[in-house]
This record gives sequence, C-alpha cells and structure tokens, in this order.
Amino acid sequence: MTKIAVIGGGPGGYVAAIRAAQLGAEVTLIEKSRLGGTCLNVGCIPTKALLSSAHLYESVKEGKAQGVIAEPFLDFSQIQKNKASVVSRLVSGVGGLLKANHVRVIQGTASFEDQSNLVVTDVNGEQQTLSSDKIIIASGSIPVIPPIPGVNIPQCIDSTQALSLESVPSSMLIIGGGVIGLELATAYHSFGTKITVVEMTPEILPMMDAELVQMLRKKLKRIGIEVITGAKVASVEEKNGIAYVQVEKNGITTSYTADKVLVSVGRRTDTEALNLEAAGIRHDRGRIQVDKFLLTNLPNVYAIGDCLGKIMLAHVASAQGEAAAEHAMGHLADIYSDKTIPSCVYTDPELATVGLTEEKAKEAGIGYIVGRFPLAANGKALIMNGGEGAIKIIADAKYHEVLGVHILGPRATDLITEGALAIRLEATLEELITTIHAHPTIGEAVREAALAAEGRAIHIPN
Amino acid sequence: MATLLTMPKLGLTMTEGTIGEWYKKEGDTVEVGDLLYQLETDKLTNDIEAKEAGVLRKILLQSGEEAECFASVGIIAASDEDISDLLSGNSGAEAPAVDMSADAKAAPAVEISAEAVSPGGRIISSPAAKKLARTKEIDITLIKGTGPNGRITLEDVEKYVPAAASASVKASPVAHKVAEELGVDVNQVPGSGRVMKADVLAFVHGDKDTVSDNERKPMSTMRKVISKRMTESWTTCPTVTYDISVDMTALTAIKDSFKDAGVKVSHTDLLVYVVANTLPEFPLLNCSIDGNDIIYHHYVNMGVAVAVSDGLVVPVIKHAHAKKVSQISSEFKILAQEAKDGRLTPDNMTGGTFTITNLGMLGIEAFSPIVNLPEVAILGVNAIIDTVISKNGTFVVRPLMKLSLSADHRAVDGAVAAQFLAALRKKMENPALLML
Repeated sequence: MTKIAVIGGGPGGYVAAIRAAQLGAEVTLIEKSRLGGTCLNVGCIPTKALLSSAHLYESVKEGKAQGVIAEPFLDFSQIQKNKASVVSRLVSGVGGLLKANHVRVIQGTASFEDQSNLVVTDVNGEQQTLSSDKIIIASGSIPVIPPIPGVNIPQCIDSTQALSLESVPSSMLIIGGGVIGLELATAYHSFGTKITVVEMTPEILPMMDAELVQMLRKKLKRIGIEVITGAKVASVEEKNGIAYVQVEKNGITTSYTADKVLVSVGRRTDTEALNLEAAGIRHDRGRIQVDKFLLTNLPNVYAIGDCLGKIMLAHVASAQGEAAAEHAMGHLADIYSDKTIPSCVYTDPELATVGLTEEKAKEAGIGYIVGRFPLAANGKALIMNGGEGAIKIIADAKYHEVLGVHILGPRATDLITEGALAIRLEATLEELITTIHAHPTIGEAVREAALAAEGRAIHIPN
Repeated sequence: MATLLTMPKLGLTMTEGTIGEWYKKEGDTVEVGDLLYQLETDKLTNDIEAKEAGVLRKILLQSGEEAECFASVGIIAASDEDISDLLSGNSGAEAPAVDMSADAKAAPAVEISAEAVSPGGRIISSPAAKKLARTKEIDITLIKGTGPNGRITLEDVEKYVPAAASASVKASPVAHKVAEELGVDVNQVPGSGRVMKADVLAFVHGDKDTVSDNERKPMSTMRKVISKRMTESWTTCPTVTYDISVDMTALTAIKDSFKDAGVKVSHTDLLVYVVANTLPEFPLLNCSIDGNDIIYHHYVNMGVAVAVSDGLVVPVIKHAHAKKVSQISSEFKILAQEAKDGRLTPDNMTGGTFTITNLGMLGIEAFSPIVNLPEVAILGVNAIIDTVISKNGTFVVRPLMKLSLSADHRAVDGAVAAQFLAALRKKMENPALLML
C-alpha cells in the first residue's frame, strides 16, 4: 500500500488526502492547528458568515421600500457566535470526512528530516518520525505584515483578528484594496464602521475587469466607503488608544485616525517550519517550485495551494490537491489546468470573474468582441438589489469562443460557474445563447450579454 | 427486427463470392461481432462478422455455394419473429446487380458501399420511404437499406442521421468551428476523450504551440487503395525475391535495329514481350491463389506499373502473349498516357496475371517488389550497367541488368522461380530463340 503523508489540513490538504485514500493510499494528514485551514477557520467561511449577518442587517434596515418595516438591533457577540458555529460545523465535517476515508490525522507541525521522512512535533514538544512513499505539501499561507513604522501597535490587526473582534469598531482604515480588504470593508461598513481603504496600486482589485471594478468603486463611494488608490501608508502611531495613520499620495501626506487598522496587503507562503532544505526541495523565498504535475524537484514530493505562492484561492488548492493525489497514485490523465479558475469578491454587489479580462485580451493581442448587459434590465436583479451591476462577456472575434465572463451583481459568485463551464467546454456564444435560461433569474443576463456581443440583445437597445 | 444477410461487396472488382464455411448453424444465437461465415472471392478469403444480434433463423446460401454480390445468404431475427416476408422477398425477382463501370476511373480497387442500386442506377426503396425522404429533404441515395436485397424501408429513412450530425467524436464547439475552417474532419482528430481546439490545431500543425515542420494530410483515394493493397499483399503472401544478372547486349542490339527500321520501342516493351512469351512455359508463375485452389491462366495479361503524379497504377496489356512487340509498344504507350492523364478505366486495370515494374531508368540496381494480388509474381527491372566481367580468361565490359523477381512461395517454389529466371535470361541473351 502506498503511504502518503499530507502536510496541512486546509482545502488543499484535506481534499488531497481524501482523493489519495479513495485511490487506495494509506494516508496520514498532519495539521498543526485546526482542520479546514485558513479557509474554514480564518478565511473564506468566517468572512462570509459575517457578510451574511451584515447583509441581513442591511436588508432589514432598507426593508421599508419593499414594505418590511423594522428596526434591526445588532448583537455582535451573537454574530460572532453564529460565525463560530458555522465554522465548527464545517471543521467537524472535514474531520468526519477524513475519518470516513480512513485518513489518519496527526496534530502537530511537520518538518522534513530527509526526502521521505517527516518529523512531527506536537504542542507538547513530543516528536515522532513519519516515513512515507509520497508527500504532498499543502502548508498554506499567512498574512504579510509590511515593514511600516508602527505596524505592530495593538490597533493594527490582520484579517484573522479582524474576523473575531469583540465589538464593532467605530472606524477602520484598511491597508490593501484586495479581496480580503474589500470584503471586510463591506461587512464592517454594514455594521456601522466608518471605512477608509488605502491601496498602493492605481486601482483596487487589479486582476478583475476594470470596467466592472469602476462600477463597484462608484457604489462604494456612494455608500460612504472611502477608497484612496495610488497611496501609501507611511507610518502608524498610537495616541490614547487611537491609531494615527499617515497616508502619502502624490507626495502629499494626509493624516487619518482609526480605531483599528486592518493590514491586508497580501499573504505569503507558510513554509518556514517545513525545513525544505533538509530534503533539498527547491523553492524561491519560501515559494515551492513545482512542475505541471505539481511535483517538486523531488520525485516523491508534491506541493499544492497557497504554499506555491501563486494563485491563493481555496478552490485552486482543492483542484491541485486532487490532481496531485491522482498523480501520486499513478493516474496520469488529469493535469491541473488554470484556464478556468473563477475568482470571487463578496462585496455588495458581488463581483466574480473567470477567464480573460478585456485588459488581458488586449494585452495578449487577441481579436475579441465584448457583450455587455446591465442588470438594471434584468427583472430578478431589479427585485434583489435594484438592478445594480452588469455582466460582461469577452469572446474571440473569429470563432466567438467564450474567453472571459465577468459579473457584478447579486449572486455573481454563484453565477460565475456558468462562465467557467462555458470556457472549460470551449463553448462559443452560440451555446450560451441556445441554452434556455430560466426566468426570472439573473442567469438570463448571461444569455443577454452573449446576445449583446453579437449585437442582438433582446432586452436592451443594441 | 429481422435482418436479411446479403453477400457483401468487398471491392470494386468483386462481383460474386462463395461461402467457404458457415461458422453458425440455423438456430444458433448470434451476437454482434460473432463470426458468421467465411467468404471466399477470387482475391481473398474474409471472415464475415454479424452486425446484428439475434438468432440465425435461415441459411439461404450453403457452404460451397456461390452467389452474386447482394444476393441473400441468410436471415437473422428474433427467435419467435415472423420471417415469412423476408423469405418470400428473397425469392422475388429483384436480384440486383451493381453497375460499376462508371465513376471509378484511375482507382484500381476503390470500395463502393453496398447501396441498393438496380442495374439502371435506380434506388430500390419503398414508396413510403421515398416520400418520407422527400419530406425530410434527405438524399435517399445516401441511405443504406436494410430491407430485402438492400431495399430502403420507411424505418431506414426514419432512422437516418446525416453524416455531419452523426459525428461520433465528442468535440468542443470551438473545436468544431476550427476544424471546419481548416477543412479537417473532426472525427479524424485524435484526442483524449473530448476533442478540444488545441487537439485540432495539433492535428493540423503537428504541435500545440509552435508551427511545426510536419504536416498531416488525409490520404488520397489512390493512396488509400495502394496502402490497402500493399498491406494485404505483404501480410498475405510469403514472398521470396530472386535476382539474376542478364547480359543486355543482344536485346539492346534488337532495340537499336528496330530504331533503325523506324520503330521506337523501349526496354520495357521488349521485356513485356519476352516475359509474356516465357510465362506459358511456367504456368505456376502465371496463376492466382484462391483459398486452397490454384487458378491457372491460359493467357498472359501483363500489368506494367506506371508512376503517376500522386501514386502508382498498373494498366494491363491484355493477351500480351499473343501480341507482337510493335503492338505491345503502341498499346502500352496509350495506356501509360491515359494513366498519367487519369483516364484509365477499371477495365484497363483489372485482370492482370503478371506484373512488370521497371525502376531501371532511375538507376536502381536491385529491389524486392511486392506482389500485386491476386497474381503470384512480379518482375522488377533494374538499370543496365556496364560491368567488367571475366570471360574466357580475360576481362570484358558488358551491359548487365539485374532482374528482381518476387514470387509468392505458396505457389512458386524457389526452383521454379530460378528456372523461370534462367529461361528468361536465356531468351534475353539469345533473342533468336524467341523465333523458334
């Protein structure tokens, strides 16, 4: 029986462990903290739990227009309890799944002794050596704390801490206009926090379609979230429990005050404890180098997910986990492909994207056509959020192959799967058009955007 | 549904076939792919598989019996099915023959599909089938009939799926579009599972990312025929190639004297004459093998391989043994020209009993030609090379030419082949013997 050790119990590691077990491996999973990793414990899931409470609070507050009049009361400790309960249900679910698949779970921190032996140290310092045929590294990532003067004052928090605040801060300055920063901005803004986002690059969410990001920025501005781009935080200082933040833009420094300063400038690989050198695993400043099979320079060691330092998304880690487990078990057919990775931002409205953005298509010199459809012309969207948002499809000019789908609007993150499937199947606009979409749904707008690309949308003038 | 089994037409020149042996008895259960019977033709023996499952209810053509193509040979049906219709249909007068003289130029053995075409080119179909086909705008000639004698039934029309829609390969929509634009049949594109755009591009360009030096093209019809026939020969007959050197002094002198007399003949013409006049003495080299029988031909139809722009054809000089050199020469000139123009008719290319192939003009000194089935031997002609040989204790220069004979050892043993070559050499070196 092939012995496989998986380092890390996040969405990459536990999926790899289950897949390897399904294929007949004797699997041991090593987790230093809690199963489910960043995603379940201090990432995607708790953020969405907070956002759900925020959304509900917001909806009730604004229920008047729809004839529901109530005065909501925010019980933040209950919000935190609810979040914790969702998290713990999912974490124990992962435990159950691993057990059902006969995966042995060891609590502890793994480090390489040599190419095929790991030393696992538990919280009490007890050590055991684990010998395996194959090892899959899925050690994940941790938040980056940039070298800003004063960044270690108690008012400065990272995303993990921001998820478990005891009370709603009255103001928060967020360093970093990426996905994490904007999602927490959305949640805390709803809870009543005054939010300021400072982003160093010229635009927030640089990987997303610029046109939709512009629409999102307008919305953020309208609801009172201040976004400062092309600006840099020069220093942070604490005075009387308040953080004073110096923000530099175009050579002019402005001072901001905030109860909390959320540092969300990005994440870096969590590979220091692994002692990669002992096994001679090639890495670039902690980013483990792999080939298309997710194999490291060693023939028996794979690495997946955030610890590669590339695309840090739970679903990418899971997909890679399955691919690595299959390859480790001698199945060579499925190669992980990054062509159809959807990317979601849980702002309000949600922003989701898959495939090429217009900017990327232009950059690559691809002949493309664009179909746009505003959700103001979609009945369901109008009902759900007043018709805020739009759908944009990028298609190849020659064959009308769907190259990119970008959605800003309610349920965008659920809807993006249609785009991912279309790209995965090499669908053309024709397949999107000839597929009957149910009414009334926001999905209809995907079809209309495809029609618009061919200049024949029904519900907007072309 | 009950199915009438008919004598398949396995090649252009096949007009009739013989049941060698039935592998199933009446009443036996038949699965798709089961061997039904052994089919013998004048060229080869084939095992015929069942295309439908059921019970072999009736054998209409017994082992050893011969019948025309498309004649009924048996009926497969469910064990309790009424097959009286098929039985009576079989006795009907509609025994079709297939007109194959047309549309087959320059292709020695193109397979034509077993369509229900009557001698006048009329499609045999039920009136209801015809009407439905018209309504559905389907070209009825494209439909394969499953009724008696290949008659097209209403159900055949109902079930007919146009070729484009029946593409069996899964391919992405973009792959379809790219394939269409590049003129590639997506069914030909190899892919792991679903054929994607990259697979089509790889098929056309040879590589997914870079423009390659390799180019993939489907075979021409002629190439397919050559490929099929050569493979068939290579895998069917155990051949041996025998080389012999011939002093061409005398034959070249004859060629020159003809020229002086105003008649231009080639070495090939002379060889056809000499070989055609030698073969009757060696009947085993002028025969065909058919199963366990040897068919001896009391005439010589001499095939001569002719290279054409995109392949090779073998026009046949009929009754070459009875023709003079001048007749052979002028007939072959015409045939060679027609071959190059692609105007040869099937009649020009069939019925050969022996083949000559000449690569001498290209400097080839010896080779091992492949037998042109159903013949048993082929003579390769090589370059004439001035060679120093020892003669009567001194060195002389002689124009020597090798003859390379490939013969099917099933019919031709080594000694026979050697005797034939020796006789050929004797006549070529002493052409006077031809006048005896």
